[in-house]
Amino acid sequence: VPTLHTLPGSAPEITEGYIQMFYLSKIEHTLRLPPHLLNLPVNQAIKGELEGLFLDKVIADLGLCISIYDIHSIDGGFITPGDGASTYTVMFRMIMFRPFVGEVIAAKLKESDREGLKLSLGFFDDIHVPEHLLPMPKQFEPESGNSNQGRWIWEFNGDNYPIDAVDEIRFRVHHVTYPSLPVEQEKASKPFAPMIVTGSLDADGLGPISWWV
Amino acid sequence: VKANDGVLTNFEVLNFLRSRGAGKDLTRVIAPIAPSEFKVYDYLEQTAACSQTRESIISFVGKSKQYKLAEAEILNLINIRPSSVVEIDPIVEECDKRMGEGVEELVEMVLQVLPTPPSQMQSDDQVEFNKDDVREGQEVEAS
Repeated sequence: VPTLHTLPGSAPEITEGYIQMFYLSKIEHTLRLPPHLLNLPVNQAIKGELEGLFLDKVIADLGLCISIYDIHSIDGGFITPGDGASTYTVMFRMIMFRPFVGEVIAAKLKESDREGLKLSLGFFDDIHVPEHLLPMPKQFEPESGNSNQGRWIWEFNGDNYPIDAVDEIRFRVHHVTYPSLPVEQEKASKPFAPMIVTGSLDADGLGPISWWV
Repeated sequence: VKANDGVLTNFEVLNFLRSRGAGKDLTRVIAPIAPSEFKVYDYLEQTAACSQTRESIISFVGKSKQYKLAEAEILNLINIRPSSVVEIDPIVEECDKRMGEGVEELVEMVLQVLPTPPSQMQSDDQVEFNKDDVREGQEVEAS
C-alpha cells in the first residue's frame, strides 16, 4: 500500500505569513511501477506515475497539487516475489496551490444565487463567497419569480453596482477548509479531500474590477 | 530548511510552465504538460505575471523595504500589480494608518517597477479583458 507523508522539518508552518498561494512542498512517496512501464527510462516512468497520482488532486492542509517541480532521489527498484512490478521510494518537490488568509485573488464568476457567489480560477473551482461577506448594503435580484438563481447588487451613494459575469472579480481569502469526505474510502485510495476557499468582497478595492478602475 | 524557502510568486510558476513549453505548443498535445497544468498556465497568462520578469520582481522587493510591508503584502502587490490607491486598500492592512500619503508613492513605484499587464494596456473606456486578443498576440510572437 503506497504511503504518503511530508518530510519532517520541511512541512510548511501553519502560521500566517508563511503560507503562500504557490509554494513548493517536499514529498516522499513509495510507489509501484507496473511491468508495462519497464521499457521506459526509470525517471520518466516515475514522473508519469507521480503525475497521474497527484496532479489536480488536493492533499489536506497542503493544498492542490499543480506540478511535479523536480525529483530529488529515487531509491529501490526491488521486485517483490510474485509481483511483476518494482517498488520505488521517491523524494520530490511539487508546486502546490494553497491560498493564504488575506490573499487577494482575481477570479471569474461561476454561479450566483441566494446563498452568495461561486467563483472560479479555471484550474480551481471551489471558491465560495457567502452572502454575508458581500459588500453592504446589498440586494438580491432573482432571475425570475421565486428562482434561487439571480444576481447581487451593491448599493452605494444612490447607485447600483451589480455583480455580473462580465469582468474579473477580486476577492480576499477569508478562510480555507479541508472537509473530510463523508463516504468511507477504500483502503488503497489516497487521502485526497476537497479544499474549500471562502472569500470576501467586503472591502474597498474588492469585487468586479470595473467598480474601481 | 527555511520555512519560507519554497514560496513562489505567480511569475515563477508561470515561468516554470513556460520553460517546459507551455506557450510554444499551440496544439497542446506535444508539450509534456497535463491538461490541469494548462489550466493554471491559462489563468496566470491573464494576470500581471504574464509580463513580469525576474529582474523587475527583485527590484520591486528591494524598493518595498522602505514601506515596511509584510511578506504576504509584497507578494500580493506583485501578483495583483495594483495601479491605483483604491486597489492597494484590500492588500495593505490599515493602509491609511501605516502609510498615509506614502501610499501614493507606493502606487507610483508599482507602476514604474512592475510591467503593465496586457489588461491595463487597453484604453480607459474598454475595461473588459479580451482573452482572445491576448492569446492571438502571444501566438504571433511564438511563431
